Amino acid sequence: MKPVVIVGAGLAGLTAATYLRRHGVPVRVFEAGKNIAGLARSERDAGGFTYDFGAHFITNRLAAAVGVSASCRAMPRYGETVWLRGRTYSYPFGLMRSLPFALSAAVAKLGAPFRRTPTTADEWYRSAYGGKLAKEVAVPLTEAWSGAPANELAASVGAKFATSLPRTIMLKAAAAVTQRTVAVGYSGTVPESPHVWHVYPDGGIGAVCERLADEVRDAIQTQSPVEAIHVEAERAVGVRVAGEDIEAAGVVSTAPVHVLPKIVRGTERLAYLSRFRYRPMVFVNVKLDGPSGLPDVVTWTPGPETPFFRLSDIGAGLPWLVPAGKSLVTCDIGCQVGDATWTAPDAELGKLCVAALDKLVPGTSARYLGCRVMRTPLAYPVYRLEYEDDRKRFEQGTGIEGLVSVGRNGEFAHILMEDVYWRTRRKVMSLIGSTAPAEAVRGCP
Amino acid sequence: MPSAVAPPPRELSTTPPPVEVPRALAPPPGLHLVPKVCCLCGVEDADPIGVGEDFEYRTSSDTFLAVRCRRCGLIYLNPQPADEEMGRIYPDHYHAFDFKPEEFGFVYRVRRRLEARRALKWCHDLPADARILDVGCGDGFHLRLLKEFGKPGWSLEGVDTDPRAVAHARAAGLTVHHGNIQELPLPADHYHLALMVMTVEHMTDPVGVLRTVRRVLKPGGKVVLVTDNAGSPDFWLFRGRHWGGYHFPRHPQLFTKSTLRKLADVSGFETERIVTPFSPVNWAYSVRNLLDDWGAPRWLVNRFTLKSTPAMAAFTLFDLPLSLVGCGAILRATFRKPAEETRGGA
Repeated sequence: MKPVVIVGAGLAGLTAATYLRRHGVPVRVFEAGKNIAGLARSERDAGGFTYDFGAHFITNRLAAAVGVSASCRAMPRYGETVWLRGRTYSYPFGLMRSLPFALSAAVAKLGAPFRRTPTTADEWYRSAYGGKLAKEVAVPLTEAWSGAPANELAASVGAKFATSLPRTIMLKAAAAVTQRTVAVGYSGTVPESPHVWHVYPDGGIGAVCERLADEVRDAIQTQSPVEAIHVEAERAVGVRVAGEDIEAAGVVSTAPVHVLPKIVRGTERLAYLSRFRYRPMVFVNVKLDGPSGLPDVVTWTPGPETPFFRLSDIGAGLPWLVPAGKSLVTCDIGCQVGDATWTAPDAELGKLCVAALDKLVPGTSARYLGCRVMRTPLAYPVYRLEYEDDRKRFEQGTGIEGLVSVGRNGEFAHILMEDVYWRTRRKVMSLIGSTAPAEAVRGCP
Repeated sequence: MPSAVAPPPRELSTTPPPVEVPRALAPPPGLHLVPKVCCLCGVEDADPIGVGEDFEYRTSSDTFLAVRCRRCGLIYLNPQPADEEMGRIYPDHYHAFDFKPEEFGFVYRVRRRLEARRALKWCHDLPADARILDVGCGDGFHLRLLKEFGKPGWSLEGVDTDPRAVAHARAAGLTVHHGNIQELPLPADHYHLALMVMTVEHMTDPVGVLRTVRRVLKPGGKVVLVTDNAGSPDFWLFRGRHWGGYHFPRHPQLFTKSTLRKLADVSGFETERIVTPFSPVNWAYSVRNLLDDWGAPRWLVNRFTLKSTPAMAAFTLFDLPLSLVGCGAILRATFRKPAEETRGGA
């Protein structure tokens, strides 16, 4: 029986592989890199600091679904704060308590029925949050992580973050009553709930993928980039890996979508994807002696005075990843591959971040212990207006039978870890019916 | 208005909590968990619906996930504890192994009376020499009732997989087979009635078990199942985490009227009747689990267990009207093996 070939052994690829195998479908997983887990992997240094590829967040529900809950701990605290010109506003209620922000938001809400549907991200933020909050917080943050002006981005950027206020209030109240870090805004595919909160594996986020990989270890081949996906009569029929052609019953791709037109052979149907762009990101992990002094686990810095737009205080949220008495702050800096930030030496990036941290928490530079820098060319999909229609078309599927594109890169969507897990399972379900032997499907494995 | 200038120092951010947990206080390690598909549909196409822990016995540090099949509506745990973990998730002091009358007092006496009446009703049309099999008989509670109040000519047998429960039942003079019914050499077309009282929800392969029950029943024989109702108001209210019926992780599947009908279909039975009797248990345990989870004092948590007469009485009064309109906290189904049928199916 021909296997379903999975391109990439990150969270989405491994979720697809385990799901298919549980239904009796043979799978082969090809990973281009040396390691599995893609962006969801962890590294530990000699000093006892554990680094994830940027800050990741998972919930007790995802941990239970994957089967890693026993090695997870509840996050002792989680909160978000916006730092704006020396003032801090807790998110979202602190911002709402500010009179200028609240007034401008109220005016926007009242005027909403009389405005046309927003087309650009800029218009969307103005109509949803009001001009002042859009201009000072939402737009600069979006531009920082997208690398494009908000009026060149589609309104769907904002819609991805739309949450209902009553639900947010309910979840925050539940967090206060239960003293748990109830997750707000961390799952769009499955409902949020007062019973779903932030947890994290003992040894870093890599544990999630390692657990999934345990089920399909024998099917994973690392350092094996897929060179081609063969399509015949608009149907995926195989792949080429290291010069060898392999027949496949289906292909699940987690590759960035702009790569697909280059490797899919036998159709021009996906040519439009070559215009899609991702935002590269540099994560500067700053090690400090003593506490960071930051106001919250996540601090947003939309102002122009800092090189980063977001800080994650790993030591505060996930103390078991940091040695006692120290702290670790991940600074997210958007960039382009090859620009001054991307090519800057690590030490220089560390100094740049610490100098900026000094503005938030005076005296930080005196406690600086060093940094570790991680770079990815694929941090966020950029929803440019110029290809918004194509992006919506791609949301409906690849249009090629037996070719499913999943995961954050593969869906070209700003989806979080729990979304990746549930969405991937639903998307690859289409590959079960036609390929699974009836007996394997019958009964509980 | 927000505070001005630099962020205020927060106590929590200045001292990270200690990471090391003393060995003696460390939580029990995780169970070996295995992935499952819907046992009625054979496919995993499900939405997460509840997430919780073993609130009652704290047998492991795992968090469990209850999902609902998008095709048939079955509620099941995914993943589920592996078979070799049964000894751990059913600890020695598990209540069904040795239900001590002296611990439960008045509630026990009421429950015994009530259950005796109910059980005799299920048996009212049986002949004087009927053979009855209690599948998952635990310590033999229902067999003892039938022995005491039923017809003297009835032949009563039980089956249970747990050696501790079997030992208790045998000590009471009952005939109980030890093992999984699917592997026991029980005669085909032999029994007039099978009972599965609060059993089917504990089984990892209910379809396989029911097919075996069908094999050992006489043509036209019946099986009476009693199980938690996952279509009841207490379920809807507490389904996110604290519902007593979850009994994490000891109820790998949970049924509604419609999924019980489907269970009958795929196991080769005809559904004769499904009703929803009243029961205070899941209401009480839902409240108990919520209080326990949210750190209420022990004395308050312990007011909501099987041992608490006021709670049992209050929730009985509460569930009684619900049961009259078909929304009681438990389900009772009668399945019949077709009188004219082809052999096999196990």
